[in-house]
Amino acid sequence: MESAAPTPATRIAIEELIYRTCLALDEKNFKAYLDLCDDDFRYTITAHSPEIRKDMIWLDHDKAGMQLLFANLPRHISDHSPLTRHAIVFTVDHAGELTQVVSALQVFKTTLDGGVTELFAIGRYLDTVRVDGTIPKLTKRVVKLETRQFGFGNHIPF
Amino acid sequence: MSRNAAEWMQQPKFPRSHFVDSRIYTDEAIFREEQQKVFNKSWIIGCHESELPGAFDYRTFHHPGGTPLIIVRGDDNVVRSFYNVCPHRGNTLLYDPVGNAKRITCIFHSWSFDTKGNCVDITREEQGFQKRFCKADAGLREVRTEIGFGGFVWVNLDDGACTLKEYIGDALGMLEGHMSMPLEVFHYHKAVVHTNYKLWHDTNSEFYHDYMHYFNRVTGMLQPGYFERKYTGYANGHASVGSMTIKYDAYEGGKERGVGWPGLAPGGWILIDIFPAMTYNLRTSVLRMDTSIPLGPNKLLVEFRGLGLKSDTPEQRAERVRDHNTIWGPFGRNLHEDLLGVHGQGRAMRPGSEATWVLHGREENMTIHDEGGMRHFYAEWSKRMEREAYDPHGDRHVSEVP
Repeated sequence: MESAAPTPATRIAIEELIYRTCLALDEKNFKAYLDLCDDDFRYTITAHSPEIRKDMIWLDHDKAGMQLLFANLPRHISDHSPLTRHAIVFTVDHAGELTQVVSALQVFKTTLDGGVTELFAIGRYLDTVRVDGTIPKLTKRVVKLETRQFGFGNHIPF
Repeated sequence: MSRNAAEWMQQPKFPRSHFVDSRIYTDEAIFREEQQKVFNKSWIIGCHESELPGAFDYRTFHHPGGTPLIIVRGDDNVVRSFYNVCPHRGNTLLYDPVGNAKRITCIFHSWSFDTKGNCVDITREEQGFQKRFCKADAGLREVRTEIGFGGFVWVNLDDGACTLKEYIGDALGMLEGHMSMPLEVFHYHKAVVHTNYKLWHDTNSEFYHDYMHYFNRVTGMLQPGYFERKYTGYANGHASVGSMTIKYDAYEGGKERGVGWPGLAPGGWILIDIFPAMTYNLRTSVLRMDTSIPLGPNKLLVEFRGLGLKSDTPEQRAERVRDHNTIWGPFGRNLHEDLLGVHGQGRAMRPGSEATWVLHGREENMTIHDEGGMRHFYAEWSKRMEREAYDPHGDRHVSEVP
């Protein structure tokens, strides 16, 4: 199917969906995040390692897997520094019900003690969005990371 | 009851082998000495052979002693290592982490070298050096290199050191039957943490901190066999921990690992620490390898590799990747907790902080919560450093029996 430009209203709705996913994760409102996702949602974090010349998958879950991951988070020890996700939607290619959306992603980390903010990660959201009616839903998200070092790390997906 | 300053620094009521002075983690001079006496004299893993699949493939490596290296496979299939330093003006020869170079040419003045370390071109050689200096005088500094124990590429800067086989001794015996098939690295990432390298190695040498890991508590500590796992110390400071059966499905959403590992029981887990800062961590179905590169007394770079079998089908590899990521990936359940733990130690025991004692006093017949693995490490460290870990500057006046 040929891709086409979405209508302005659809594009606005899709952009808002992407930004709402960031807000929900920033607020650790995992239910709100999953509510933005389709039932057949798939979430994957990938990165390329030049050191071993390989593409790597770092996380890969369906919607139920993400739900479980979020539910298990309180059982684990975490760094409490809040993360702030900034996305900018670059392209929206509309093809029937499914729309491919490419966004730039920047993740910032702010220390609790003193509030110093540092750039934590950069990458892209490669999203597939189902536009079925008026409310778009996230069907697939691939977080393609450029950053591969996170210091002492992070439990919570971007 | 809380303690005042004198009580805080009172010698612990243990033998001297059961505690260390925190200055071994914070002192710049001790760190520089460790680079010379420990890292530059030990066999160190530089990379894995699967990272150099073809002729002329190279990998650059920041040796923990501070010297940058090139590890390269020649067209004779031999893997060699050299200082990544041009013998002319000391420039870096290869900048990228990997690549393929029939000739290694310095960007500065175009001196060239082959993968055997021979200098093959000096630009305007005769005009500049006449007969006083020639290519034969300008070979690269070669570093002893051996491949072994799972296909890892080991380097040793000390030309007079023992062989790799002698260095390892019996330490990797528990893994012998499990590394007969060629392995392949499928995961690689690094973490930089403000902590001392020994504290990371300690974390790999004691399991008492399983209290920090919810995953390990439910899949291991609460399962039969956990408290029977035993530490064994080996010559040269290496140590191993015996296996048990991990119950992966005890973690909510977890499941038993479907893809196996040659010779290892389902749910098996063997961990072997190699002095001074490498750890083989084999859980069915993934081998994780940690290699530490200290960047300062309170700054550490850890390289994390995940390995499967080279013969894996795509389906088997996908399962290993998933198993790896569950606990050991950058977004996994355990690794972040371990890194946070040593980050906290580095924060509390940073350079300039008041010295304290760090206890390794648990004795449980060398079973899983005994701290004998760390005691074994520090005995070797003290021997090589010619300093006692409990009194590195000789000013503590520590008695054998408090």
